[in-house]
Amino acid sequence: MTKPVQSDTTSTEDERARQRFILEDTGFDEVPKKYRKFYRKWKATGDALAPNEVICPVCKVVIRSSRELRPGDRVYCMPCMSRLIVVRTDAGTLEAHVAY
Amino acid sequence: MADFLSAYSIQRWLESCPQGYLVNTEYGHETGEEEPELLYSNEVIHEDAIRTTVQLVVGERCALAASSGLINAAPDEASKRFLATQTLDEARHVEVFTQRLYDLGVRKDELTDVINRYANPNLVKFAEILLEKVDKKDFIAGVVGQNIVLEGLAFSVFEMMHAMNADMNAKFAHTLSGTIADERRHVGFGENRIGSLIKTHPEKKSEVERMQKDMSYFMLATFADGFRNNETAAELDRIGEGRAHADFHGKDLGVMSPEEMEGLLADTVLKEFKVRLERVGIEYQTPSRP
Repeated sequence: MTKPVQSDTTSTEDERARQRFILEDTGFDEVPKKYRKFYRKWKATGDALAPNEVICPVCKVVIRSSRELRPGDRVYCMPCMSRLIVVRTDAGTLEAHVAY
Repeated sequence: MADFLSAYSIQRWLESCPQGYLVNTEYGHETGEEEPELLYSNEVIHEDAIRTTVQLVVGERCALAASSGLINAAPDEASKRFLATQTLDEARHVEVFTQRLYDLGVRKDELTDVINRYANPNLVKFAEILLEKVDKKDFIAGVVGQNIVLEGLAFSVFEMMHAMNADMNAKFAHTLSGTIADERRHVGFGENRIGSLIKTHPEKKSEVERMQKDMSYFMLATFADGFRNNETAAELDRIGEGRAHADFHGKDLGVMSPEEMEGLLADTVLKEFKVRLERVGIEYQTPSRP
């Protein structure tokens, strides 16, 4: 499981509605080169997550997708090897839960 | 089975670590970087740097003994291979922090004496609890103690130290940065491996919970000794040197007293323990405060 993002969503309409993002290397060097653009370090104070990003609760790295994330998406945190599922919190934000 | 390790390999470790964030480093930092002059010229600050680094060496020696000891206790091939890479990570940590002691002026023939003189007895007790489980080849307790408790502790301690050194000591900050990257893999292995294993061995929970409580107590006692006896902040004030205004979990470390920093670090680590353990189905046990 090396793709950072997989989706359970099958609806073509949902797929079309998703925002797309061009990912650039942010200097994150803790994974092999071809995967580096999918991750960045959380900068703490003043930092904010984009619609295509979610924080890994295990190692605190930001996981980035080339498209907007939605509840049910499965993401993979390569730096700590955790398999995660995106969920929407009561506050309306997205967060990732570990799937053991 | 350790399915989460299906994409992990020695090759990936090579590409991420030695060929990734450690490329062009020398003992974990950039070639030519040196400790700040103040660490050599001021006796109080120099001794505190040595004392702090000795605790890192002691902690990493424990991690090296635990991760290597757990290889033969691991029930599956993938975990054995992961622990083999972790063993090399820990050996590297022992080496880079020992090298820092040499850089600070400790002679090779006095290393053992210096470590014996400054090693915190509570940290040694913390390590003994873990290594007793490893000696018994208790894989579940060993991984919780090593990869969730010890690595979780190291993760937060290194992050705090990195924040304090980022602007003041690039050499040490770079060394810490590489160890933090290693810790991400180690805590990931701990959570993911135990998360699946504890479901099939619920009878281990009470023993593991007791171990976490005991280890947490000695961790807090180590923090108490380290911060309450720390004279660096007062010495920096005395000689008119500014402290780094570093952010750690929303607080400015540059204006906090050592006691306040102890409280912040202890609360951060214990909160992380609680969250991590509860995620994998283990009930966090609140330790008594020293």
